[in-house]
Amino acid sequence: MSEIPLTHILFVSTALFFIGMYGLFTRRNMITMLMAVELMLNSVNINFVAFNKYLFPENLDGVFFTIFIITIAAAEAAVAIAIIINLYRSHHSIDVEDATEMKW
Amino acid sequence: MNNIAYLVPLFPLLGFLINGLFRKSLSKGTIGIIGCGTILLSFIVSLILFFDVKANGGVVVNYFNFIDVASFQIPFAFQIDQLSVIFLLIITGIGFLIHLYSTSYMHDESSEHFGRYFAYLNLFVFSMLLLIMGANYVIMFIGWEGVGLCSYLLIGYWFKNINYTNAAKKAFVMNRIGDLGFLLAVFWLLSKLGTANYVDVFEQASTGLSSTDVTAITLLLFVGAMGKSAQIPLYTWLPDAMAGPTPVSALIHAATMVTAGIYMIARSNVLYSLSPLTQDVVAVIGLATAILSATIALFQNDIKKVLAYSTVSQLGFMFLALGVGAYTTGVFHVMTHAFFKALMFLGAGSVIHAMGGEQDITKMGGLVKKLPITAWTFVIGVLAISGFPFTSGFVSKDEILLAVLAHSPVLFWFAVFAAILTAAYMFRLMMLVFFGGFRGTHEQEHHLHESPSAMTIPLIILGVLSLIGGFVQLPHVFGGEDFFNQFLAPIVPAVTHEGAEAATLEYYLLGGTIVILVIVYVVTKKLFAVDRFDGVYTGFKKVLADKWYIDELYNAVIVNPLDKLAGFLKNVVEKSGIDGIVNGVGKFVNYASRQLRLLQSGQVGNYILFMVLSIAVLFLVFWNQEIIVQFLQKIF
Amino acid sequence: MNAIILSAAFGVVMMLCSFLIKNKSNFRHIASVALLILLIGNIADTYGYTFFAIDTHGMLQFNRFGLLFNSIAIGSTLLYVLLTGKEIENAGMHVAEYFTLILFVLCGVTLLSAYNNLLTLFLGIEIMSIPLYILTGSDKRNMKSNEAALKYFLMGSFSTGLMLMGIALTYGGTGTFSLEVVRNAPNMYKGLVSFLEILGLLFLLVSMAFKVSAAPFHFWTPDVYDGAPSVFTSFMATIVKAAGFIAFIKLCAVRMAETESVVDWKMIYAIIIVATLLVGNITAVFQQSVKRMLAYSSIAQAGFMLFTLISLNDMAYEGILLYSAAYSLATIGIFAVLVKMKDYTFDGYNGLAKTQPVLAATNTVFLLSLSGIPLTAGFFAKYYMLAAVVKTGNYTWLVITGVLFAAVSVYYYFRVIQAMYFKEGNAETTTIVPSFKYGLIALAAIIILLGIFPTLLLRWLYF
Repeated sequence: MSEIPLTHILFVSTALFFIGMYGLFTRRNMITMLMAVELMLNSVNINFVAFNKYLFPENLDGVFFTIFIITIAAAEAAVAIAIIINLYRSHHSIDVEDATEMKW
Repeated sequence: MNNIAYLVPLFPLLGFLINGLFRKSLSKGTIGIIGCGTILLSFIVSLILFFDVKANGGVVVNYFNFIDVASFQIPFAFQIDQLSVIFLLIITGIGFLIHLYSTSYMHDESSEHFGRYFAYLNLFVFSMLLLIMGANYVIMFIGWEGVGLCSYLLIGYWFKNINYTNAAKKAFVMNRIGDLGFLLAVFWLLSKLGTANYVDVFEQASTGLSSTDVTAITLLLFVGAMGKSAQIPLYTWLPDAMAGPTPVSALIHAATMVTAGIYMIARSNVLYSLSPLTQDVVAVIGLATAILSATIALFQNDIKKVLAYSTVSQLGFMFLALGVGAYTTGVFHVMTHAFFKALMFLGAGSVIHAMGGEQDITKMGGLVKKLPITAWTFVIGVLAISGFPFTSGFVSKDEILLAVLAHSPVLFWFAVFAAILTAAYMFRLMMLVFFGGFRGTHEQEHHLHESPSAMTIPLIILGVLSLIGGFVQLPHVFGGEDFFNQFLAPIVPAVTHEGAEAATLEYYLLGGTIVILVIVYVVTKKLFAVDRFDGVYTGFKKVLADKWYIDELYNAVIVNPLDKLAGFLKNVVEKSGIDGIVNGVGKFVNYASRQLRLLQSGQVGNYILFMVLSIAVLFLVFWNQEIIVQFLQKIF
Repeated sequence: MNAIILSAAFGVVMMLCSFLIKNKSNFRHIASVALLILLIGNIADTYGYTFFAIDTHGMLQFNRFGLLFNSIAIGSTLLYVLLTGKEIENAGMHVAEYFTLILFVLCGVTLLSAYNNLLTLFLGIEIMSIPLYILTGSDKRNMKSNEAALKYFLMGSFSTGLMLMGIALTYGGTGTFSLEVVRNAPNMYKGLVSFLEILGLLFLLVSMAFKVSAAPFHFWTPDVYDGAPSVFTSFMATIVKAAGFIAFIKLCAVRMAETESVVDWKMIYAIIIVATLLVGNITAVFQQSVKRMLAYSSIAQAGFMLFTLISLNDMAYEGILLYSAAYSLATIGIFAVLVKMKDYTFDGYNGLAKTQPVLAATNTVFLLSLSGIPLTAGFFAKYYMLAAVVKTGNYTWLVITGVLFAAVSVYYYFRVIQAMYFKEGNAETTTIVPSFKYGLIALAAIIILLGIFPTLLLRWLYF
């Protein structure tokens, strides 16, 4: 099995990161925005593991960091869902454009 | 001596604070006692200092560093030497007598205003003492400004009258013009020598200063003296300053403040001796002032105005003496003038008090019967100022004339002319007020009475001093020793007249004086000791009575154009220009804020978009840093 | 180490209290006691008495500066709980949980003051932020609170993503997560400072700038501060922001300074500072609500605190400590008064001087401190900041800009004072107990004391 060059993997993770970013400022559905955030965090995971395996194979730092990221992402997702549910109860919509009472 | 020198100005300062802060709650009696008592205590301490200096010589007492910036230091120090201690005695002694007089003269005022009056008087004495005792020009300047301020406050004492406050304003503004000259001189001195202490300056004067420096400094200092001591052209405030209460005129505008200029020049005699040009200027201006104001005094109808112009004239004499190098003589004339001018002002106050506030001499006359003490002490003063033999005024004026003669005969004859005029207007005043028939109304006649003892005792004391004050400096020919000159010799060089020529000149002067006085007496008795005097003048006499129209000239040339300029600056430059810019900045910030807050649109997507765009911009800047830095450096 | 473990432990204790103790008003007393023990523990740690000896393999590093900042943060939180503890009970239904979350945030804060590894940095930021998302949305019936929580969460996780990407790139560039990089280790990238690392540091910088609400990454601040319940805004605007700053400064001082030979970070800092000052001050001028004005003003204050990055000398460290203390105390005070007002707009403050003179007077002291008027702590704080920059010799134009914008800030702070004293109105407040007034007076006294003797606080840095 030939080695996949590092650049290919980096390309994938960068693309995922920017797709996530694009989703975050384009989408109006709150759940979709949450999904975009998770996409961003996971693309970083790919990055960590790739760097660890290709550049510094003796250590395991990157992989450990990935574990931490997954944990924290889970906690954040829990909080996010709670907030979205709360918002739905008062605004009766999960459109982020409906929650723009505070401006200027 | 070091330990008690600070007490001299401290007592009047305490008096000012107590009377000023508690004037609403103290009674008039307490205020009077505090006001006079502080000056009396200062006088006692001054006496102690005088005997100390007589025995041990002068000393400089340092207290603390007043200004201490980098290499530039001005200490707060007092210089107690022969010159300052003489002035101390004059100020505190005569000051005490005038304070005593004021307790009776001002007793019509309410206790709050009474307190205000004494507070200002004490503050004035404090400032004057600071001026005299300072060991460098900066401390002198503090006192210089202080007396100007107190003069303003006291001239405008009855502040409800707009004329009086205008007079106070005029006095202050003219003083300020002089102060500018004084300050420039001090700055020049500091920049050339780096110090303002008398001791250091006089030591280094001949070596450290070029002749242009010395001439400029002395001329600028004289400008300051012109303002403070009312010489041409800055003298017109003094007659207007008669709007203040009469004791104020006696203290400030006769005996003390106006002599500050003389003190300053006497103190700086080392500098003035190095600059013959300035000395000539001083002498000529002094003489011109003496003659000009004497001519005006001859035709004035207000008792205080006559005395005011007389003061200006006598100050001219003093400057004349300083200008010909007779510094001790100038100081001596300060002392004698303080005696008899204060005496005459207080006497005038007594007369005004008796006349119920009337100051017009055309309505007075024959007061010698009803006010004997006032009248006869006033006569003593008149004799002294006219130079009646062996009075104090005779001795000092003679010395001045002799010194002027030694310098230049032309000036001498002009000075003699001025002396004749002096005798003339003083005798005229005496005759019109005290002799002849009474020309006032019937109620005024019934109201006439001698003043209470608080007013007459100072008159008597001053009268005695006017008579015998000359004996400290009687010329040798008449059997006296020049104690005064010898006392001042360490500080101020004296002009001595030795030898047979001096003796003959003295006798000539004595004879001449007697002749002139007799003529003046006869003429004035005939013209002015009369029952009817309307005091209306025509032709050339009117010009003199209207003060040569100098005030009107100043108004037209200086005051009105400045008013118009100030008006222009206020309406155009200030309102439209500066206010416009300042308000404009505020309006601009408000507008910017209204536009900028629209950036916060409330939509999360927008926020994140802006953040991403900023990241991109930052990255671009970051990547092309050198190019951007070069670009910016080219612009700035 | 004491503070980190003790704060987490006390957080759990408070959590247990929520169903073990029935009386609501006991919670803040327990919280105050917990904070007091925390403070004592931290001070003991400062002088070497650690209770827990745990080997962190160089991920945590406790120096004097960090521990002193811990003390300031815990002390401010103690003051905050003492002063506004009663209002926390009115913020929502689950009172004990709020105190738990506050203690957890403190845990994150203490972690941030001691981090030495990018992993601990990430953990600290996350531990600090997630409870804040919850606290922001704690007033469930208020629509603004919900919206603020959502916005905070979305933008906060976005910045977390950026930070993680940054960390990943630096890891790729250097091979280690440690803050101090040993550049000649055998498995290092041979090009010493690589492009990957610098890109990563840029992302990291952006993410930290978001956390401290520097422009142009400040967009969450007005909405979140305006929407959250005032008590929690007070906590967020002071202690959390200060902690963010400490982390930011440590990061910049160590990591970015190393790459100074290749790139000039100071220009980026300067751009951010100018943008922050501009946005914060100018937008605050035209606000109608005092709470929103205070939010924008906190952006402006953040701009001032960023001056530390330009200088990074001893005076700058002293300055940031003093600034954190002064700014935290003043803001806690202002929000304490704000919570009691019924109407948050400027007109709602009209005539407060007549109805509640003590409140108005202490509020004035707080506002003066924020504007940087002498005799208050804020003046010395600003002075230290600017003096540190002047000492370096460059960037005088930045100092002048800072001063100009400080002058603009005087306007909107003084609008409140003007409304309180010079306008007629009926300012209504909720009930005020005397102990609240004493607390305010004590706070104002501390601010003035620090304003006259700033070294009272700063000398603990050296003793």
